[in-house]
Amino acid sequence: MNSLTFKIVLVLICLGIFSQCEKDDICISSVAGNPDMVILMLDQETGLRSLPSGFLIRPLGTAKQLPNSSSDSLALPLKLTESVTQFEFITNSGNVNENIDTLQINYLRKDQFINGACGYRANFILDQTPLSILNSGNNWIKGAVIIKDTISDEISAHLGILH
Amino acid sequence: MKFLRTWAYCISLFWGTLTVVGQQKAPTVINSLDSLKSKEKPPLSLRFGVDLFRPILSQVNKEYQGFEAVADFRIKKNLYVAAEAGNEEVTKQVEQVNFTTKGTYYKIGFDLNMFENWEGMDNQVLLGLRLASSSHNQFLNSYTLLDRSPFWQEPGSITSSGFATGERSNLNAFWLEVIAGFKVEVVNNIYLGLSLRLNRLISDTVPDNFDNIHIPGFNKKTEDNKFGASFNYTLTYNIPFKFK
Repeated sequence: MNSLTFKIVLVLICLGIFSQCEKDDICISSVAGNPDMVILMLDQETGLRSLPSGFLIRPLGTAKQLPNSSSDSLALPLKLTESVTQFEFITNSGNVNENIDTLQINYLRKDQFINGACGYRANFILDQTPLSILNSGNNWIKGAVIIKDTISDEISAHLGILH
Repeated sequence: MKFLRTWAYCISLFWGTLTVVGQQKAPTVINSLDSLKSKEKPPLSLRFGVDLFRPILSQVNKEYQGFEAVADFRIKKNLYVAAEAGNEEVTKQVEQVNFTTKGTYYKIGFDLNMFENWEGMDNQVLLGLRLASSSHNQFLNSYTLLDRSPFWQEPGSITSSGFATGERSNLNAFWLEVIAGFKVEVVNNIYLGLSLRLNRLISDTVPDNFDNIHIPGFNKKTEDNKFGASFNYTLTYNIPFKFK
């Protein structure tokens, strides 16, 4: 075998080795997963952000609690396998004039491709009537306004809850 | 970045071969004084065959079905027009995503023989270039959502119907291949060959809400670099043409 052939065989080996060198399929941790819905508590009369006293949100159908937050911008996790998620919104919790409203968020799940390593994340599109109040009488929640109907990140608020 | 260095390294090796060619020029000049060889016309020949590796892989691996036919036609003493055509159906689980890629591909280009044969031998050490295209479809079988803070459900639940699953059809890809390989005549007019291919994607139609993670003939496409690699291991039969 002359040295030209030898060189070419070297090139072949080199190509063979580097063909195995591929970028690893690792989903980096800075890529966001399924987003939560971000709500704002808005005063019905002034339209300004305000948190009622003794305010509490309790998810329905689970013993789990939402993480405590004293902010007026709250992240609510939505169910992936259903197109509705229910929460109890409680004002003056623990007081005599405690008031519990059962709210249902209506939405459609639409999955969004991220990349080969991370796969997909769920996005949600809010229905025309994003909020149903399930209990009757003496509701302290007055309604809702859509701020952004596509929930694809948690950067800005999606739904304003009027009270 | 890694591939830039890969290329730099491979090209530097090619430079090495060029300098060796320069040093070996002198003896070939002496050989060409031999009057017997120089008056012969370049032998035209058509060679065709199949890739041996893909049918074997199809037997061994349930998730792979593939076939590749190859052909080349000698137009000058050391120059060939070469082509490959193949068909592939591959099911892959890539991290969170399970999909099936199905399609055909065609490659056409040139092979240059770098090997100086002795009288009566016909072996080749080849450098080649191909322009390749595929038409394929991607079927997303199932996937797991990226759930960073699961609340309502257990993490890792698989979506295997509805939502983003389903077929994306009428997809295309175009790419260039740089080839290094060899063919050895094992029996009269029967050749065994091996070629390694470095692929550079030129364009591809990106499937709706998905990606061409695998392209038939090109193989794996990673997200932010456009290089792929493949190889074939061929058995070919040569039909020699005689011109008088």
